[in-house]
Amino acid sequence: MIKAISLEFFKLRRKKIFLMITLFLGCEILWAFMSVSISLSRNPNSPVWESTLTTIASMNGLFLPIICAIVSSRICDMENKGNTWKLLISSNLNRKFIYAAKYICSGTLLLYGVVLQAFAITIFTITKSSTVIIPLSLIMRFIGSTMLASMVILALQQWITLAVKNQAFALCFGMIGGFLGIVSDFFPETVRRTVIWSYYTGLCPVKYYFTNGSLELIQQNLGLGMLTAVFLLIIIFYIAGSHHFSRQEI
Amino acid sequence: MFKKSISAEWLKLRNSRIWLVLITLPVISILLGSINYYFNQGVLQNEWYSLWTQVSLFYGEFFLPILIAICCAYICRLEHMNKNWNIVMTSPVPIRSVFTTKLIIIAILIFIIQIFFLILYFIVGKILGLSSQIPSETIGWILRGWFASLSISAIQLRLSIQIKSFAAPIGISLCCVFIGLGMYIMEFGMFFPYSLLSIGMGVLSQEGLTIVENIQFFVMNILFTILFSSFAIYRLKTADI
Repeated sequence: MIKAISLEFFKLRRKKIFLMITLFLGCEILWAFMSVSISLSRNPNSPVWESTLTTIASMNGLFLPIICAIVSSRICDMENKGNTWKLLISSNLNRKFIYAAKYICSGTLLLYGVVLQAFAITIFTITKSSTVIIPLSLIMRFIGSTMLASMVILALQQWITLAVKNQAFALCFGMIGGFLGIVSDFFPETVRRTVIWSYYTGLCPVKYYFTNGSLELIQQNLGLGMLTAVFLLIIIFYIAGSHHFSRQEI
Repeated sequence: MFKKSISAEWLKLRNSRIWLVLITLPVISILLGSINYYFNQGVLQNEWYSLWTQVSLFYGEFFLPILIAICCAYICRLEHMNKNWNIVMTSPVPIRSVFTTKLIIIAILIFIIQIFFLILYFIVGKILGLSSQIPSETIGWILRGWFASLSISAIQLRLSIQIKSFAAPIGISLCCVFIGLGMYIMEFGMFFPYSLLSIGMGVLSQEGLTIVENIQFFVMNILFTILFSSFAIYRLKTADI
């Protein structure tokens, strides 16, 4: 299994995928920081860490589904392009392992992006806030929640990418996801829970609340029910995708 | 020869079902934009103009540039498969025609999408009960949007010819969209093709362009289209495919 995963990274060594993720997230982070800076200059009393985390989380709703689609497509489509599926399948490697290796590889790439975001948030917030105390638990929870949301989307995205050879559909699906991710905050709570792309803000450790006509930032702890639901979704999408791929004619 | 090249490109798209992708994104933009308009009519009181701000924001700012990138990547997809570029390059067709044909096909596809978007905008406006006449500027926004999409198509086609991956040029397009947004805010929009689309479609500001701005808009688009098309043709002529 380790060999299968390292093989995936070996195939990506000249694909500049890390650079691509860095550039995408760089654009997002710059945009978010500009927005937070403007907001802080208007409301100097608003909490810096919380504002930055919520802004990044809501922008992740747009960016990360598209990045998930691109990463997943690049990892799976290289086999289509190189005509290497038959070679892979005929090697002494179970199809389920190939599927798992690709999923873990995509997840690791996303983790790199999320850690990069957390690092950038830390630097930005230290420069903006008066204290230098870093709320490690908040950052860790932000990384965890973003990764959980990404893993659900990646599981679904990888399934679609491998099921439909034409990558235009998978990328279009990712774009629609990104769109739903950004507009889902306007949906009612019950509808929002069914939209997996809204989980970036739904699982974020800080949330906006409207109280007495004003906007307030409140830290939230995720309930066991929500976490179980997310894990279940990951398992369902992953198993369905893996099962489909294992029986698919190559 | 040119006519045959165009029909060959159409032939490649014949059973592709790309139309599914092409119609889905405008439909979603219109649907969500109009829902948002419906629930915020108290604030959005400028009828057709307010509806345009809602439906065109995501379409013009994000979906259309990425849709162009998908079309460009798609139109080069067959050539990248099984080393088909070699067949294309050895066929008795000038390289200039190979590129121009692809650009024309994309222009036609984008034109169809724009008209489809306009029809949807009109239908939704009528369903929402907008009593006034549809503004004449709408035709200008649609046509200018299409014209701006030509320069983006030239850039994306240049990228898609070089990059074998389907997703990478789309990713680059997404990056450029955000750079374009920044350029637009800093008022350098006229110098970046992706911002020209926002300006042309009146996505963020519905104020009409002055005659000078209109001339500048068209000149910059023509310049970008010629420049990036030349880059692409030069690369096709000189690089080892």
